[in-house]
Amino acid sequence: MSTSDDIGGDHEGRNALVAEYVLGLLSASEHDRIGRLIEADQNLRAERDFWISRFAALNAEYEETPVPAHLYAAIEARAFGDVIRARGPLPWWESLMVWRGIAAGAVAVAVAAVGFNLMQPRFDADTMAVQLVAALQAHEGSGIEFVALYDQGSGQVRITSLKGAAIPNKDFELWYINGDQPAVSMGVVPVNERREITVDPAVIGPGTVLAVTLEQTGGSPTGVAQGPIVAVGSATPI
Amino acid sequence: MTTTTPAQEIADLIARCALRDRVAFRTLYERTSAKLFGVTLRILKDRSEAEEAIQEVYVKIWQRADRYVAGNTSPISWLVAVARNHSLDILRARRPVADDIDVALEIPDSGPTPERAAEDNEERGRIDHCLGTLDPDRADAVRGAYLDGYSYEELATRFAVPLNTMRTWLRRSLIKLKDCLTA
Repeated sequence: MSTSDDIGGDHEGRNALVAEYVLGLLSASEHDRIGRLIEADQNLRAERDFWISRFAALNAEYEETPVPAHLYAAIEARAFGDVIRARGPLPWWESLMVWRGIAAGAVAVAVAAVGFNLMQPRFDADTMAVQLVAALQAHEGSGIEFVALYDQGSGQVRITSLKGAAIPNKDFELWYINGDQPAVSMGVVPVNERREITVDPAVIGPGTVLAVTLEQTGGSPTGVAQGPIVAVGSATPI
Repeated sequence: MTTTTPAQEIADLIARCALRDRVAFRTLYERTSAKLFGVTLRILKDRSEAEEAIQEVYVKIWQRADRYVAGNTSPISWLVAVARNHSLDILRARRPVADDIDVALEIPDSGPTPERAAEDNEERGRIDHCLGTLDPDRADAVRGAYLDGYSYEELATRFAVPLNTMRTWLRRSLIKLKDCLTA
């Protein structure tokens, strides 16, 4: 089967468009058009890979040249800190910088949450000092919000969803992040249901970030968040 | 006892990058960046542009590591392709808009299988042999298009032939090359 109408092809009704595409000889608009056609067709993808791998034998002619040492730090900063802009939600929040702007709003919601008595905090003097609340506000229009209360005395985190619905075949997973440490999973959290999670003492303190990501059912299998962040907030003493 | 080939090691590092393993990313960078910098330098022909490009290339590799499919192309070929395509994108964006004729794309009945495509990937002999069946000028034009990212216009100037002649040369050469490579 061939859809060639032989415009620009040779006398045998064949053309070399996929090879021209791989070589980079097509104009910008033509390159995009042919690229989309190739992506959509398995045989064309195979033809593209054929040319890539055959021409790859010429790669030996590219001379190895050391990259100036100072560039790596810039690459890491761009790769690890800037992922979200390039391809959508990812664990960019491992960097604390990104959510700082919402801290003020988080406190306001936290105060409201306590006022609604959602968390049933015990208002005696001894425990006041060691309770923290975090309002996990919707991120990037996710429409998902949680509020969490942490009692350092008992090591318990109580979390409940404020907004949002469950998503089929997905689970929400709760994480805590201290400073520039990697995020640590606290397990899968349900919506429309309160959950109590016991954590090691002292892992959560003022400024600890709590975040919820959308993961495959059962949570991320790797221990590293893989899905987009849907809600985030920081722990504040109350 | 199994031994791990360098290609398997690179493939493993790419897979670990897809799982957001930052240590693997650094190792991959240490192992491959000199080669990829050679690519951006040769195509862009400007050191500061090549330095900027190599940063963007590794950010792309980190972001797209999950798209690498082992078997379709060897891991180092895939990395070179990312660097090469990024450099070509930079050049292409600068070129004047061309009058495109919407050439219909020939859909092959069946492409080469992925295994077939990758098996003699690193084999230099075959492509050299097939380029050797072309007129030397035309073989050089194909090499120039691949290795230096020359456009049809640049190739026409270099070989002192009219643009349309260069297009015809290259297209016929590529068809001939494919016949030879699949023979």
